[in-house]
Amino acid sequence: MLVIENCRLTWPDFTADYSLTVETGNLCAVIGPSGGGKTTLLHMIAGFERPESGTLTFNGQDLLPLEPAKRPAAIVFQDHNLFPHLSAAQNVALGLRPSLRLTRDEQSLVAEALDSVGLKGFDERRPGEMSGGQRQRVALARALISGRPLILLDEPFSSLDPALRRDMILLVDEMRRKRSVTILMTIHTPEDAADVADQMAFVADGRVVASGRPMDILGSALAPRIAAAVSDS
Amino acid sequence: MLTLKLPHPGTLVALGILSLVAGGFIALARFDGGTPALLSIGPYLGQVLAFSITQALLSTALSLVLGIGLALALARRRFPGRDIVLAILGTTMVLPTIVAVFAVFAVYGRSGWLADFLAFLGWSEGFSIFGYPGILIAHVFLNGPFVARITLDGLNQVPAEHWRLASAFGFTPFQIFRHLDWPVLRAELPGIAGLIFLMCFKSFAIVLALGGGPSRSTLEVAIFEALKIDLDFGRVAWLALIQLAICLSMTGLLHWAFTRPPVGHTIRNLVYRPDAKNGNLKLFDTFVLAVSALFIAPLAFSVLTGLRSMLAVIDTDLLRAFLTSLTIATAAAILACALAFALASAARRQRLVLRSPRIATFYDLLPDALLAVPPFALTAGLFLLIQRVGDPSNAGLILLPLINGLAAVPFAYRYVAPHLLTTEERYGRVAASLGLTGWSKLTIMDWPVLKRPLAAGFVLAMALSFGDFGIIALFGGTELVTLPYLLYERLGAYRLDEASSIGLIIVLFAVLLAHASGRLSHAGD
Repeated sequence: MLVIENCRLTWPDFTADYSLTVETGNLCAVIGPSGGGKTTLLHMIAGFERPESGTLTFNGQDLLPLEPAKRPAAIVFQDHNLFPHLSAAQNVALGLRPSLRLTRDEQSLVAEALDSVGLKGFDERRPGEMSGGQRQRVALARALISGRPLILLDEPFSSLDPALRRDMILLVDEMRRKRSVTILMTIHTPEDAADVADQMAFVADGRVVASGRPMDILGSALAPRIAAAVSDS
Repeated sequence: MLTLKLPHPGTLVALGILSLVAGGFIALARFDGGTPALLSIGPYLGQVLAFSITQALLSTALSLVLGIGLALALARRRFPGRDIVLAILGTTMVLPTIVAVFAVFAVYGRSGWLADFLAFLGWSEGFSIFGYPGILIAHVFLNGPFVARITLDGLNQVPAEHWRLASAFGFTPFQIFRHLDWPVLRAELPGIAGLIFLMCFKSFAIVLALGGGPSRSTLEVAIFEALKIDLDFGRVAWLALIQLAICLSMTGLLHWAFTRPPVGHTIRNLVYRPDAKNGNLKLFDTFVLAVSALFIAPLAFSVLTGLRSMLAVIDTDLLRAFLTSLTIATAAAILACALAFALASAARRQRLVLRSPRIATFYDLLPDALLAVPPFALTAGLFLLIQRVGDPSNAGLILLPLINGLAAVPFAYRYVAPHLLTTEERYGRVAASLGLTGWSKLTIMDWPVLKRPLAAGFVLAMALSFGDFGIIALFGGTELVTLPYLLYERLGAYRLDEASSIGLIIVLFAVLLAHASGRLSHAGD
């Protein structure tokens, strides 16, 4: 279980104070207006931002003292996930060994990971030779191969067209059922994930305003605010 | 029916430039009726070529080492005064070469700071800066910081996501270098190295003043000496042709090799670098910063000593030289901007309206190709042409702004051309549907977008021309004195106090102009 309690971060022009609980193995969709603090929430869990107070634990382990590399979390950004000078296979391999010195077995793990996101045979492709959707699939494969039980997806598919976006979300759903990982995913259009997510959290003004079953959130009094957030940007 | 249409002004400008250059060369080659034997200057030429290339290679290598080390250290470290260091690095980029010559004399010369310091320590062995030491110091002083600035800009383009990935994966410092820094260096360095090699290969003022003998000449200096000392136009023509061939092929190579990858949008450049905490790197960076400071700071600050004798040095000669420089710089800047504007609009018309990108590329390349033409040879050729039609005694007043203006065209072009292109892409169709052409298109569609970049280009062209010590070395004398020429004279007479004051005036003015240019080009982005 991921437990965030009163994690406070302050900037000159913005204050965040997060409290959120996500059951292990669940997929939690994080929605809300842009600039409301969705990305900061994920960055805090990954260790790029440090809260001044509060607690952050995953399955009972305190994450706050840990460096990003030591945390049980893997992250996928909206953009710039891959190093352009490395092949798809090498980019995936970074999730296993940053030195890129892989054993035979590890090499076949990489190939399997690419296969599992529908990129069989793409091993030698450079990011520049792939479409936006394919690049995000590579990033996803890397997050999965790292073996970290918590996966953070920061608007991973927002730059893809709706049909492709839906495919990718279904792929994420399939992955997490196979590997039983916990996923936090910020998304732009709630409908995309309403049926696959177990939980939905509405984040605005640096706070988790509401969290619960997607149907409950989308059908709640928050509905007009959610609709406004979606059409806003 | 055949209708005669006036060619585009840019076409006329291109033809004008080409015929000026060709005319100059023909005049040179036909002077004396003789075709000089290349063989007769063979050994001398070989010596000059060997020296030009060797010093340029060494200068480039040393500039790269200093620049890259400095860029990496500055990228990893945050310290008080870092912004000031960056500003100083930016300043040496517009430092006139003749001022760099002064700085080398002031610090490393026979009565310079280093000699004083060593004498104070009781070590009075004389050492000479003439030849390689002086030339390399001056070239590295001018180009090392340039490498550092460009590289640092490149390193700042690494997306913030990559830095987060680096800390999420727990990259070691070596892995950070390999996956984040090295790809940037590999993309940027061939272009920068080529550019610096070209600049050092063509170096004039520095080699003339610090070479210390005819055996240590670049082609540019050899051309100057053939003109000024021997009046051997045939040799000038040969040397110039060789210089032109080498520089043109280098420019072509650079154009072909130096296609910058599209710049990613930077999120913010104050990303946290996980390797900043590594102890060995801390030590290494401190060492690099200390060495750079020891090398750059004395040279940069030597000019400031000019404050001491500033009041004593101001006289009518100096004021006259200042006004002459200002006039020449203004005329050169007007010319550069007019030519750049005409060429850029011709390129735009070919690319977007007539859809012939090849001809557009010709217009794009012409300004850079101009840099390959040796200014002294062009000057000599044009001087011979002027001699045929009229009185050559005032030729300097025409040729100085002309040559300086031509030399500034590539810089003005870089400011103007991209803006002209995007304006047409955005508003071209609207303008066409409204029937805007010619003057009305220029005033309504182009001018509002163009006035700032044009002003920036104008001011930069002024800065370049104001500090230039090039063909004034031919024309300078009692009649015609610019500030850089005055500085050169005082240096030759070892009057370092006066030289420092003149240098300071030149630097202040050039830096002021360059700063204004930067402000103009960034405002309104």
